[in-house]
Amino acid sequence: MTDMLHPGLDAELPRCRHRGVVITADAALAAMLQALWPAQAVCWQVFERASQALEELYAEPPDLLLVDELLPDMPGLELAMALKSENVYRQMPVVLALGGPEALERENWSVTEVDELILRPFFPAEVKARLALTLARACRTLDANPLSKLPGNTSIIQRIQRLVEAKAEFGLAYVDLDNFKSFNDRYGFSRGDEALMMTARLLVNVVREQSSPSPAMHFVGHVGGDDFVFILPAAQMEAACQAVCSRFDAIVPSFYDEEDRRQGGIRSTDRQGNEQDFPFMSLSIAVVMNHNGKLTHAGEAASMAAALKKKAKAISGSIYVLDQRQH
Amino acid sequence: MAEDLRLLHKDRILAVKDLPTLPNVLQEVSRLVEDPTSSTDQVAKVIAYDQVLSAKVLKMVNSPIYGFPGRIGSIQHALVLLGLNVIKGVIISTSVFDVMTSTMSGLWEHSLGCALACTEIAKVVGLEDPEEYSVPGLLHDLGKVVTAVQLPDVKQELDATVRQRDCTYREAESLVLGFTHETINGWLAQHWRLPLKIREGMSWHHAPTRAEHFPAAACVVHVADFLVKVYEYGSSGDDQVPALDPNALKLLKLGTQGLDTVMDSLADKFLEVADISFN
Repeated sequence: MTDMLHPGLDAELPRCRHRGVVITADAALAAMLQALWPAQAVCWQVFERASQALEELYAEPPDLLLVDELLPDMPGLELAMALKSENVYRQMPVVLALGGPEALERENWSVTEVDELILRPFFPAEVKARLALTLARACRTLDANPLSKLPGNTSIIQRIQRLVEAKAEFGLAYVDLDNFKSFNDRYGFSRGDEALMMTARLLVNVVREQSSPSPAMHFVGHVGGDDFVFILPAAQMEAACQAVCSRFDAIVPSFYDEEDRRQGGIRSTDRQGNEQDFPFMSLSIAVVMNHNGKLTHAGEAASMAAALKKKAKAISGSIYVLDQRQH
Repeated sequence: MAEDLRLLHKDRILAVKDLPTLPNVLQEVSRLVEDPTSSTDQVAKVIAYDQVLSAKVLKMVNSPIYGFPGRIGSIQHALVLLGLNVIKGVIISTSVFDVMTSTMSGLWEHSLGCALACTEIAKVVGLEDPEEYSVPGLLHDLGKVVTAVQLPDVKQELDATVRQRDCTYREAESLVLGFTHETINGWLAQHWRLPLKIREGMSWHHAPTRAEHFPAAACVVHVADFLVKVYEYGSSGDDQVPALDPNALKLLKLGTQGLDTVMDSLADKFLEVADISFN
């Protein structure tokens, strides 16, 4: 992905490969596309007719599909719309190549499900920029958490992997909410979402308040549910964790109804008739530090954090645990 | 007919887009947000002196886009959740009164005084989280500000009525508008999705025991409003001291001794903010 986000850097970062499919009878278009990126960055599979491409598209949807509007066997737009009407293929980014400016007037673009247009005559630099934007946009939309709009798992893992490979001195914090389930049970999901949105906003602001030498070390992601991740330079991690915990504990009572707020949490009765008290929600944060580049891959950080988490869980109130081992 | 006029006024009032404030606080806040060493707490403290900036910040953080409407009632919390970037945007797009500065500065002082008094009363009567009562105090006359901005002709008529009849500003509102600033406060608080405790403090401070959910908040603002007028700290549009509802004191369990304590600590508080000038 990285190479597509930074079209100028593609020679340095050939790590991620993207598969593009182009359906066109125009040999010049196919040739231009193939010349845009080195083959290890984006490899194009070229089909001249829609009928040849369909099975391949359904069986192995590419990262990017480019369709010429003028195909020998069916209108390109019809093919694009057929794909987009299937839920499983909807997220595949589709670019439509138009014959010329007059084609712009023909369609109602607000109801046409394609993601980008390119227009003859083609300017290779513009086409390259548009395709990179389309891919990046598709990746963001697909990966973003639907509630918080924060980057999701794919972006989180990519970011960690990149920093691990660069042997950066970073800290990786895993955050989750304690007593979130009892809150959801008592007030319902939409109130639970409110608490998650508050947490997301809090993390974003605390991370942004810390200065960082490199923007790559400023990151907040939403794994899903009540699990969040943030990344900062190792030296700033402790201050950030303190701020996150104290701010969360100060704000969270506002999310409870007055009565529960007064009694300091939720009292509920389980099916056996036993009364149970759940204190206010709080955060547990487990921080893995990449001291001396000790991490070798992204998964290692996750499992270390899980182990640390157990320690944090044993204590009530918002709490963070730092892993300070050097190796 | 009266109902039509009321709706017309309500529409004008809720259409408020650009609520101006007074230049001094705005300058100070602008300076703070431009200074990279400022903390959100520092900025929050200054914003909490200004009813218009506070209202804007609370309106923003309680807007549905952030995902927790009606939850945040503290300026401190609002700043932590909005972040300094957004605050900067709010500050930059805030204008100042180019006329009326002198009539408004009295109202700003009165509101700040009331906010301080609310916290002191809440402390003395032993309410939980006493700082939470300062915001309804700060915003209790916001309806007057919005009327002045959105209905300038009405504002002139109100001032004239107060002078000619030697009545309270609120009586003038009833005569001229057919409703009073607490009604406007209620519209604004609901429209901006402010927390219920703030809304009730703002809209029931002249009939405090009638607040449905948070009568204590309304009673605190009621007593605070009275005390600040007794002190003649600032001005809320007339020079009358309103009646103190004994039921409010009863509800808060605030006796003569408690009132004395509040008055003493309030005198100290006024000294602390003596260097803040809205002129």
